[in-house]
This record gives sequence, C-alpha cells and structure tokens, in this order.
Amino acid sequence: MSKYPTLASTNVGDQLPLMRKSANEAELFLYSAASFNPHRIHYDRAYAHHEGHQDTVVHGPLQGSWLTQFVTDWAGPNARLISIEWQNRASVFVDEEVQFSGTVVALDTLESIVELEIFEQKTDGTILMPAKAHVRLEER
Amino acid sequence: MSSSLIPPESLARVGEILAGPVTVVIDRREAQRYAYAVGDENPVYFDESAAEAAGYRTITVPPLFVTHALVPPKPANMLREDGLYQDATSVHLEVSRMMFGGEEWDFVEPVCVGDEITATTRLADLDQKEGSKGPFVRLVRETTFVNQEEQLVARSRQIGIAR
Repeated sequence: MSKYPTLASTNVGDQLPLMRKSANEAELFLYSAASFNPHRIHYDRAYAHHEGHQDTVVHGPLQGSWLTQFVTDWAGPNARLISIEWQNRASVFVDEEVQFSGTVVALDTLESIVELEIFEQKTDGTILMPAKAHVRLEER
Repeated sequence: MSSSLIPPESLARVGEILAGPVTVVIDRREAQRYAYAVGDENPVYFDESAAEAAGYRTITVPPLFVTHALVPPKPANMLREDGLYQDATSVHLEVSRMMFGGEEWDFVEPVCVGDEITATTRLADLDQKEGSKGPFVRLVRETTFVNQEEQLVARSRQIGIAR
C-alpha cells in the first residue's frame, strides 16, 4: 500500500501530519537571493527595526512555498496541486518556529479532488496564515 | 463616509497591463536553488526518473517558483532606500503603507524545466473598503502564465492592502 493518500483512503476530517519550519539569517538571505528580492527588511535587522518590525522578517512567499510543500509532502508525487490561497495575518521573524496543520474538509469524488483547510501558526497558537488548497489525488 | 483613497486616474487603470508580457525559459539550476532555499527537496524537482515516474514530462519546479523565474533583472541604481526597486508600474494611491494581504493560485498544467513561460500581469481590481481601523484599499494584481504550447499553466492573484 502506498504511503500517500488516495481518494479511496481519504475521509473528511482527516488531519495532515504537522510540519514545523523556521528560517535562520542565512536561510532568509538565501531565499532573498533565490527570489531576487533585495528588500532590506529580510536581511538588515537595523532597517527592519526602522520600519517598525521587531526583527528581520520572513518573506511572505517563502511561507507560501512552505505551505505548498506541506500539501505536496502529504499528497505525494502522483497527486497534483490544483489551487492554493492564503491570507497574511501577521509577520514571522528570523529563527521563529511556525507550525502548519491541515484538515480534509471536502471530497469531490467525481473529480478526485480534496479540499484542505490549513493554518500556519506560531507556537503560542497565533494564526499567521489561514489557507485553503485543492489537490487531485489518485483514485486508489 | 471617508474621502476616496483611490484617485480617478488610478481607478481608470483597472484592467490595464502592469507588467509583461515577458517570456523566460524555466532553468533547472535556478529552480533547484529555489527549492533548496525553501527547504523543499521533493525528488520531482531534482531527479528526472522520479519526475517521470510521477507523470511529469521531465523535472518539474516548486509551484510558486514560476513567479520568481520571471522577475526581470534590474540595475542597482534602481534600488530605493528600502531595498526595493523603483517601480514605474505601481498604482498611485493616497495611502502611506502597502501590505501583502495574501495570494490565490490556480495550477492548470505542470511547469517543467525547459518550458518557455510568458507572464502578463494586469490590475484586476481596485476597491476601497471600510475596516475596523478605517478605510483601506484592496488592490488585486492578476498574473497569467502561459507555456510554449499556448496553454494557460497557472494564474496568480496577489492581494495588496493599502491604508
């Protein structure tokens, strides 16, 4: 049996395995470089303070890519991500641990698509990004 | 009723192309740098046989990479104080602060290494709303990504909140 979910093995209410992430200074710098983003709030602590942030800020799209990884790691290589959306509610800072959790909230058996409700949260439970995704799974 | 934060000349730009069309070839090394930078070491981004076994034509790329692949190179003399580039396409609003509100993505066809992707960004929506902290503007930039076969591969809607 595959270690990945199929439409037949998935039920509304299923929980995705939790994923924890954080980014240190070098990782923030690497993401700035890989995304050609020179915004100083992501690598210059003094400048981040100057703009009113408590510390160097984790990029929104980096968290977006953590989010897609959270879904594709669960769904497996044969599944296809159909859509994803998120809202930025609060900032994440360098070295801060965040946690992704998700639940299957709907199944479209005709199209083999599952809908996921996802939250990125701080360790104190503060919601950083509420999100929603649709994934096409193999039937069985 | 508060006064408008959206000047009429900005409102008139809804539907206008803000950037593109710009075309790039999806580069394996750039995509793999991106995958490592986000900590996503999925074999379908690195190993051709793993990608083919998963039904892709060849190595595929992290879903959000396509937007970064299309960032145009710009000279350092265009950098502003905050490190961002001067942007001639920015929409003028009577606000002091622009924040990223979120994103919405549809993935229609796979994007693989070697694909030639053309992106076009439009000002899709500009709307003033009343929030608990006063009026704000919701600005939606919609980008379509089309491949060398003229198939729509992805669509993104980036939501900006300005107040």
